[in-house]
Amino acid sequence: MSEPTEYVTLVSYDGFEFKIRRSAAIISGAIRRMLDPQSNFAEARTNRCTLETIPGIVLEKVCEYLYYNEKFADSKDVPDMEIPADIAMDLLIASDFLDV
Amino acid sequence: MIASRGARKIKPPRKNIQGDDVDLEPTWVTLSDSFREIHTQNASQLSYEQLYRHAYVLVLKRKGDQLYKRVIDFEHDWLSEDIRPRLHTLASSALLSFEEYDTKTVNERRVSGELLLKGATKAWDNHQTCINMLADVLMYLDRVYCREQRRTPIFEACMELFRDTVLKWLVTKGEDGMDLLDVLSTIILDQVRMERDGDTINKHFIRSCVHMMESLNESNTDGQETRLYVTRFQPRFLKASTEFYREESERLIRENDAGTYCRWASRRIREEEDRCRSTLSESTTDKIRRVVEDELIRNKIAEVIAMPNGVKFMSDNNRIEELSLVYNLNARVDSKKTELITAIQKRVAQMGDEINRAALAASHTPPAPAPGYSDGSTKSGERVVNQHTAAAMKWVEDVLQLKDKFDTIWRLSFASDQALQAALSKVFSEFINAATFPRGTEYISLFIDDNMKKGIKGKTEHEVDLVLDKAITLLRYVQDKDMFEKYYKKHLSRRLLMNKSVSNDVEKQMISRMKIELGNNFTSKLESMFKDMTVSEELSNGYRAYVDKLGDYDPARVDLSMHVLTATVWPLDHMSGALDRDPNKQDKAQGPIFPPEIERVKKGFEKFYLNRHSGRVLSWLGGMGTADIRAVFPKVPTKDGLRERKHELNVSTYAMIILLLFNDLSENEALTYEEIEARTNIPPHELTRNLQSLSLATKTRILLKEPMTRDIKPTDRFKFNEGFSGKFIRIKVGVVSAGNRVENDKERQDTDDSVRQMRAHYIEATIVRIMKQRKTCAHLQLISETISQLASHFKPEVTMIKKRIESLLDKEYLARMPEDDSMYKYIT
Repeated sequence: MSEPTEYVTLVSYDGFEFKIRRSAAIISGAIRRMLDPQSNFAEARTNRCTLETIPGIVLEKVCEYLYYNEKFADSKDVPDMEIPADIAMDLLIASDFLDV
Repeated sequence: MIASRGARKIKPPRKNIQGDDVDLEPTWVTLSDSFREIHTQNASQLSYEQLYRHAYVLVLKRKGDQLYKRVIDFEHDWLSEDIRPRLHTLASSALLSFEEYDTKTVNERRVSGELLLKGATKAWDNHQTCINMLADVLMYLDRVYCREQRRTPIFEACMELFRDTVLKWLVTKGEDGMDLLDVLSTIILDQVRMERDGDTINKHFIRSCVHMMESLNESNTDGQETRLYVTRFQPRFLKASTEFYREESERLIRENDAGTYCRWASRRIREEEDRCRSTLSESTTDKIRRVVEDELIRNKIAEVIAMPNGVKFMSDNNRIEELSLVYNLNARVDSKKTELITAIQKRVAQMGDEINRAALAASHTPPAPAPGYSDGSTKSGERVVNQHTAAAMKWVEDVLQLKDKFDTIWRLSFASDQALQAALSKVFSEFINAATFPRGTEYISLFIDDNMKKGIKGKTEHEVDLVLDKAITLLRYVQDKDMFEKYYKKHLSRRLLMNKSVSNDVEKQMISRMKIELGNNFTSKLESMFKDMTVSEELSNGYRAYVDKLGDYDPARVDLSMHVLTATVWPLDHMSGALDRDPNKQDKAQGPIFPPEIERVKKGFEKFYLNRHSGRVLSWLGGMGTADIRAVFPKVPTKDGLRERKHELNVSTYAMIILLLFNDLSENEALTYEEIEARTNIPPHELTRNLQSLSLATKTRILLKEPMTRDIKPTDRFKFNEGFSGKFIRIKVGVVSAGNRVENDKERQDTDDSVRQMRAHYIEATIVRIMKQRKTCAHLQLISETISQLASHFKPEVTMIKKRIESLLDKEYLARMPEDDSMYKYIT
């Protein structure tokens, strides 16, 4: 499985798996480097990133954001995204980690 | 990220990663192990996430500086322990083959060199890939720690490490120890040298090495100019190339001819350009080109051009391709192409001088006996051209040929270069107007004359066009346009009056071309000459009709056709044949005495003409006319018995007057020259010429001369040749020098004088015109303005202008300013 696939899998530390379009996933600097076929790390070979620091509930929101970002990257007057207050801090940390 | 809205309570983040203090050591062990894996290309087993997370945690725990330092140390160790020894072994063995330069073959040297290049390239490539991965893993370190502490990001830092620990590490010890960069440079130079000598080398490795040097800077500062390639390799490369080409050019110039040298030089330049593109860096292209150009061209071009088989040889032998090479080479180093221009100019000037000299020599050798030409016989008269005229024709043809030749070269070899065109024009104009060769203008006009009279006969329109073009081309070079105008007028008038022109259309075309080239002023007089011709024809017809109406047809009446010419337009002083007289007070008083029957006709026409145009004065120019007379010769016995012989004689007006004198004489009565002169008042010069053609030329010997000598003396006696016989009914009696030919020295003197006079007027008129406009003007400015205004006519001499100014001062058109002597004032 070394061919870059259209979809990649993101796995949270509590085991949730998210299949997400590669183009959206690599908006995150960390994920992009993880999947860089040139460096050929394990993640790049399996197209599967296990993110040991991020819980599923946050990762879900991250995925939502990645799609959201991809969709509105070039547009103005973007509708705000709903962020539940209880995971806001985690989300911030995750975003720092993932470099988004 | 988007901040959340609403007032809900924000939970503190979960503590799973912030937990306890992380121990640096075990984490570092994991990381450094992984790094080693990366360096040995085993990364596929590693989880990026894990490594990234480790680094992330370390940075979060404020251990960034330690991590950074350890990474750098790790890399340093790796480079100096793993990479450096390998490369240095290769470098040493490559160097070794240099030390044993003589014993090793080129091939061995190349192989060992290539090994090093290959090794260095490979190490560099690997290092780059690994550091890329490393930097990826340590992204968080870069992002947070390096930015906060203003440290060089990992990637750049490791690149610098490579430069310092590998490339700049001394391979040889001692004062002038070489680091790896020096060795690499040396090897690349050596390989380039091999390629220049014709060997094949592996460009790929050199290219990669150059690329490496290009992507590293000399120090930690950024900038194009501090690239290792620029600071370390390029200077050596340029220096080596300079030496190489200096030596090679010396050798080649000694061993080869100019053409080969040029071909070779252009090839070398092309090669160097290719080399920069395929092997070295594009950024060097300009510099190496300059080096090669300097060595091969700038320092040598003069020598090459001056070589015995240089430009002179090439242009003489029409080596279009080689000339084009010289041109291209010279153009490379000098946008003005000075060297080439000088050489070409010199050659053209030389050849032009030769042509001038040849023409002068030809015209100075004693002319072929002129009388042959004066023979009225139509056969030889047309063909035998005066030697002067032949020389003139030859001169023009030669000049045109020369021009053609260099035009071709210019077009084919010099890419129609403007500067060269200007230079060629200049040198052509120089030798055509050379002071040692004053006859250019006359010759050109003669050339046109000759073509108008016979040259264009039977040619197509296109060919005629070509001839006209050539004439105009030459004309363009002429400085003394007024001189040319004078000659052209003279020649044109002869052509018109004697009906020698082959085609009036072509004449008019020529004039319209001159109009385009030289402007209205120049041609207006020529055009009015044509107008006069047309008007005259109408006038003749009108007169004939008028006479017809007068009375019954009289068989003895003299038919008259004439040309009425505007005195100011036509060069009358040339045509009247009045060379021995002052042109200003010629005619009327001294005009020839016409016999009564002619005088009557003349009067009749004058009356007719003045009726139409009152207030005009008609002067008659007997010297230009011709007359048809019917002559009856006494009966002589022929095989058919006694016959009266009738001939129609076509003679000049003067000859007619002379012949009519004999009408009144009885048989065997004779007239002396002096008597004839007294009774006709024909200018002695003309009289002599006409008598010559009437009495000396065998075929038109209507008069008998005593004694029968070649010259006409005042005491000679003439009588009617009753025994004259001719084969044809119509006999044309030619007159010596009726055609257009080169002037003899006396005529030339006259022309010069009259041109000088005309110029004086021109200059005065111009000065007055300028002063009228300016009111006051400084001396120098006045002179320069005068020169520039007259440039289209001729090139006035300064002394002449000064004289004219003085004369104007005398005539009180101008005055010096009282306060400043060098200023003039216009006096109204």
